[in-house]
Amino acid sequence: MEDKKYAADIDSITKAHALIKPYVHITPVLSSETLNSIAGKSLFFKCECFQKGGAFKFRGASNAIFSLDEEQAAKGVVTHSSGNHAAALALAAKLRGIPAYIVIPKNAPKCKVENVKCYGGQIIWSEATMQSREETANKVLHETGAVLVHPYNDSRIISGQGTLSLEFLDQVPQLDTLIVPISGGGLISGVTIGAKSMNPAIRVLAAEPKGADDAAQSKASGRIITLPQTDTIADGLRASLGDLTWPVVRDLVDDIITVDDKEIVEAMRYCYEVLKVAIEPSGAIGLAAVLSDKFKRNPAWKDSRNIGIVLSGGNVDLGVLWESLNN
Amino acid sequence: MELSICESIVSLDTIMKAHAVIKDHVNLTPVMRSTALNSIAGKTLYFKCECFQKSGAFKFRGASNAVFSLDEAQAAKGVVTHSSGNHAAALALAAKIRGIPAYVVVPNSAPKCKVDNVKRYGGHVIFSEATMKSRQETANKVLSETGAILVPSSNDARIISGQGTLSLEFLDQAPELGTLIVPISGGGLISGVVVGAKSRNPAIRVLGAEPKGADDAAQSKAYGRLITLSHTNTIADGLRASMGDITWPIVRDLVDDIITVEDTEIIEAMRYCYEIFKVVIEPSAAIGLAAVLSNNFKKNPLWNCSQNIGIVLSGGNVDLGVLWESYGLQGHNLFGDN
Repeated sequence: MEDKKYAADIDSITKAHALIKPYVHITPVLSSETLNSIAGKSLFFKCECFQKGGAFKFRGASNAIFSLDEEQAAKGVVTHSSGNHAAALALAAKLRGIPAYIVIPKNAPKCKVENVKCYGGQIIWSEATMQSREETANKVLHETGAVLVHPYNDSRIISGQGTLSLEFLDQVPQLDTLIVPISGGGLISGVTIGAKSMNPAIRVLAAEPKGADDAAQSKASGRIITLPQTDTIADGLRASLGDLTWPVVRDLVDDIITVDDKEIVEAMRYCYEVLKVAIEPSGAIGLAAVLSDKFKRNPAWKDSRNIGIVLSGGNVDLGVLWESLNN
Repeated sequence: MELSICESIVSLDTIMKAHAVIKDHVNLTPVMRSTALNSIAGKTLYFKCECFQKSGAFKFRGASNAVFSLDEAQAAKGVVTHSSGNHAAALALAAKIRGIPAYVVVPNSAPKCKVDNVKRYGGHVIFSEATMKSRQETANKVLSETGAILVPSSNDARIISGQGTLSLEFLDQAPELGTLIVPISGGGLISGVVVGAKSRNPAIRVLGAEPKGADDAAQSKAYGRLITLSHTNTIADGLRASMGDITWPIVRDLVDDIITVEDTEIIEAMRYCYEIFKVVIEPSAAIGLAAVLSNNFKKNPLWNCSQNIGIVLSGGNVDLGVLWESYGLQGHNLFGDN
């Protein structure tokens, strides 16, 4: 793997690790004999739902925020995000004591918007299209002079997310396979670069909703494909690949499995009822992938024994549960 | 510390022996913290996540100790118990691991997910009425018929010692703890934990947390004698049992106090656990957090004197059907028909 070609390398990830160490949680790895039995594999779950802000996004956001020099930081940061990056950036900015301007699409889950408010982020609404998100963010950028921190297509973000792989392989050195949710590709880019630097033999599989399978299509056709709209319950997995994340996905990610929403919710149910971990639908997709027929029947994966799955986040609206308990 | 009554029954020694017996079988559960929850509570809170224990609750510790302490002759006939849930599944699982039968008397009011767990672990389920009397009578009948060893859910030295291993871990993981808050039902958990914790750190305070609608332990403490309630009324289905002749003296003499909370406080604490912590717990397990957040706790200088408070999240076996229905998932058995 020629590191220099990509937006991040083991060096930038290691530096990010040192920079963000005082701020992030080293999240636990959980496993379950029941799930191992059902999957027919040894599964290890990296619980990023326990990360600050409730998702892995805080790693990249912290790296971006704490890399800024004083002058850059003074004007604050701006981003557009459907949720977890929004809150993560707001929180990291709050920790540094600088303003955060967050462009949020109208269809973002309520709990993710609440998180941004909790962390003192200033919310600016946009329409629920990539175009509107980007245009609104640019407008805010011009008005405030704030630094744009893209939710995934940014080398500081990718390096920050990559710190997850350093921890994971430290905690479970015997991992031979990783399964990682894919949206804009920030997480999987950082994780793949980090993991394959530490263990060149490790394989990395992306998991994507069928209703937002732009990455799978891109991999199949050899060029970035973007979808005009997506249709999935996994609200965190709707973004398209960027020019920094695509090359890593194209060259270094071994394959992409797509699953349907029913499989995602079933996997989510296993996480709650067996692992006792409250994850959001997007967070369940790795488990959905490993339990899918596609994975089980594919001879390419039959030698995978020790599989690391990233439970990416746990920000989900559970109102229906509380209403029923209170009645 | 006055241990004379119970020294021969439960002591640091029996707990450490239990630890050696069970350590290859149980999970060393993590201790987690949250800046947000510390802010809300005004304290530094440490959560021992026994919901991540095998079979989803701390009960597996005591059950393992009981099952793996049996000699071959005793083990051959299997084990029997009556339980509203978590002990049932824990015993079934421990028995399955040892390869012996488990007969589990379950009251017909027990949550479905807890009954499903017993079946999943190969336990033979026998239903009884939802009263202590019926549970005990049915269990005795099964005992006579099978010759199995009775393993009660809390009032048993092997069970209490097993649960006590939790305190050894917790104090290893967070030696700075000044107070522990532990759910109380039959008293098995808190008995083991208080003996273990106070042996390690005589200055530590141990408080019980109990639902107002099942406050037999609080009443017993207040009156100085064992009080049982004819019926209970709480969403915390794991906290309805009464103390026994082994657990009561330990609670009476060593537990510093008992805090009672309303069901609404329990649900609010449960919500904090899911939404801030991202941890799935059952109502009974939320009671420690509910206690530390309650006005009574905040106003009571005898209770809120420690900065570092350890809370046991005792279990995570809860019916979430309404959530899955909202996602369009039909309520089928997660593990297939059995």
